[in-house]
Amino acid sequence: MINLSADRLKRPVPIAPLVTFRVLFGIMMLVGTIRFWLNGWIVQQFVAPKFYFSYMGFEWVKPLGYTGMHLLFALIALATVFITIGFFYRVATVVFFLAFTYVELIDITNYLNHYYFICLVGFMLIWLPAHRSWSVDVKIWPQLKRTEVPLWMVGVLRLQVAIVYFFAGLAKLNPDWLLNAIPMKIWLPAKSHLPLIGQLMYTTWIAYLFSWFGAVYDLFIAFFLINKKTRPYAYVFVLGFHIATAIFFPGIGLFPYVMMVVSTIFFSSDAHRKLLGYFNKGAKSNPQPLRCPQKIQQAFAVGIGVYFAIQIIVPLRFIAYPSGLFWHEEGFRFSWRVMLMEKSGNSFFTVKEPSTGKEYEVNNSEFLTPLQEKMMSTQPDMILRYAHFLATTYEKRGLKHPAVYAQCFVALNGRRSRPFINSATNLAVQQLGWQHYKWVLPLPTNEN
Amino acid sequence: MKYNKNSFKVLSVILAVTVAVIACSKSGTELGGSKPDESGFDKTAMLTNYADNLIIPAYTTLQTQVGLLETAVNTFLSTPNTTNQAALKPVFKETWLKYQNVSVDQFGPAETALLSNFLNTFPTDSAVVEGNIGKGTYSLTSNASINQQGFPALDYLLFNPHALTDFSANAANRKKYVQDVLAALKTRVGTVLDGWKGSYRATFIGNTKSDSGSPIAFLVNQFAFEMDQLKGPRIGWPYGKQSAGVMYPKNTEGFYSGISIALATENLSALKRMFNGNGSGKGMSDYLVALKQQKLSNDVMSQFDKAINSLKAIPDPYPTAMTNNKTQIDAAYREIQILLTLIKTDVASQTGVRITYQDTDGD
Repeated sequence: MINLSADRLKRPVPIAPLVTFRVLFGIMMLVGTIRFWLNGWIVQQFVAPKFYFSYMGFEWVKPLGYTGMHLLFALIALATVFITIGFFYRVATVVFFLAFTYVELIDITNYLNHYYFICLVGFMLIWLPAHRSWSVDVKIWPQLKRTEVPLWMVGVLRLQVAIVYFFAGLAKLNPDWLLNAIPMKIWLPAKSHLPLIGQLMYTTWIAYLFSWFGAVYDLFIAFFLINKKTRPYAYVFVLGFHIATAIFFPGIGLFPYVMMVVSTIFFSSDAHRKLLGYFNKGAKSNPQPLRCPQKIQQAFAVGIGVYFAIQIIVPLRFIAYPSGLFWHEEGFRFSWRVMLMEKSGNSFFTVKEPSTGKEYEVNNSEFLTPLQEKMMSTQPDMILRYAHFLATTYEKRGLKHPAVYAQCFVALNGRRSRPFINSATNLAVQQLGWQHYKWVLPLPTNEN
Repeated sequence: MKYNKNSFKVLSVILAVTVAVIACSKSGTELGGSKPDESGFDKTAMLTNYADNLIIPAYTTLQTQVGLLETAVNTFLSTPNTTNQAALKPVFKETWLKYQNVSVDQFGPAETALLSNFLNTFPTDSAVVEGNIGKGTYSLTSNASINQQGFPALDYLLFNPHALTDFSANAANRKKYVQDVLAALKTRVGTVLDGWKGSYRATFIGNTKSDSGSPIAFLVNQFAFEMDQLKGPRIGWPYGKQSAGVMYPKNTEGFYSGISIALATENLSALKRMFNGNGSGKGMSDYLVALKQQKLSNDVMSQFDKAINSLKAIPDPYPTAMTNNKTQIDAAYREIQILLTLIKTDVASQTGVRITYQDTDGD
């Protein structure tokens, strides 16, 4: 049994897991940043667009122009190097967290669950003393050196990873995924080029196998990783599963690698210490546990409690909305819903001037990149943001009180495309907010 | 402690095996995919059909037709009179129609050569064209010059109302410009055809992926792109859809020769041929059937017919029709929009292709 008592959580354990986590995370983020830069995505996503889909409350986050964005990414890359070697670690983690989160807040279009996850990990690393061994900081300031930390400092990272997996698994418990093997049935035939197994991709049973295995894996893998006896086998599954997803769905980018790297945090402190000892034979020192004052410990306990309460409430907030999560996407983001549905959309906007009756159909490519248009066409809050932007833009062009109407069609999980937005609603006067959007047409539940 | 040692051993073995599997799967790619399977679909056969029976022949025909156009143009340039202009027009029209057959094939060599940008950016900038002719110096290779050449520039130069007058006296520069534009056009078509006859054919049929950048993704994305072009620049925008009914007749494709609707109809017909693999049983429509989407495949095909017929109901020249045939134009616009939605949402969704025209991560 896992003893979750406070004393056990305070038990000193080797600092090694935090150190390996710091180093691996730093290297991975450096590689990710360089890859992003070399692919030309800085320009494509943060310089080229004329309009950005802001997050509510973060409208003040703006792209910084060509030079500014490249400097920001250079700063992120520099911070990852500093994190990896543990040099000015606290400053580096704060800079990394702020800069990375700033980039992600610029445009909803670029939202990816693993970017959100990286923001969260970046935030946690600020508070964790992952630089107090095996770091340049310790070389410069030897008094910083600690060999042991309380167990909860490793535990919070494990819990965060476990939450990602578990909620990703919960999200898969829906009729389309389990009973119809959709979207796997749609996605797998597109993979028939794979050697040996290619032709299997057209068969139904393999779609069910992928769906069910994925759901079971996500739901339970964290428990098997926590349990000492099953851990090595579970990690083999982690590698197998994520390497498979990387081969089958290369479009998901860094995600499989992120999960393979962060899941190493589940290995015991001893295992991590041995791994580090491998590179530094003969180094030995007396235990130097990290101690912090009672008051700080209490503050941390409260902070951690609040943080994880949020982490559990946010993915469940969809319950507060009427049914039809996939269709309406109310409470969809920040909930570890990864590779969960096949949704394509297409939208036409018309701006009307009520006083004259004049109609202007919008050429979306005049304002949006193809990626922005694609993402916007299936997500109601983005449609509303864009409609408001169009109203402002056309008002500047001389229209009086422009009204904006959308003709939008969406195909969800293999169903035929159907109207998505009430085309009689003037979106220019609809409020952006947390409320249920009544101008999104319902998806008939009895149809397939 | 012993336990941990073992687990590291297990891990390293597994890692080695995984690495080996990945390495093998990479090197084994050439072996896979080409075997037809009753339960599956032979994508290689589909792509081979596209390359050998549709794309390469379309470029070959276009190249031949450009040769005929060259002859007719030279006849007209040496004796610019009404008779020769009238004789030139059907040849010019035929060549532009043949171009519509390759308009959807803007990937591989055509993408590298920016073929559609250089051959068919409309409207042409007649002021800059006249400026070029006046100066006698110009470059037709820079990306900035795409609206000073190709079919739209020839359309203006050969068939604008004052063309005969312009060519009758002191027209050495003008004649040279026409010949230069035509030569550039011919070279570009030749380059693209050579590319296909060279290594690109094998690249094309050897890649049966559906990821961004793969031939199948290119095809679906190009269908969507051409439909967007048809709805906007070809039909909708000149008609005033974007501008509260204020029309821009000069922005139509083929304005001076008055063949806009013929070009649009041929463009959409070519798209239909591409979609169903010219009825060979090895087209995108058949791939949909193999994916158990018979009804969608039928619906798309019949929507193609509806849209093509509704376009045919609009008489050329399009600028005149804009005032006389509003009902037909509105109807065609609606049908095009329905077809566009089917391709961009339903077809893209079922084939697992992302409509982005650009590469990025997703989840």
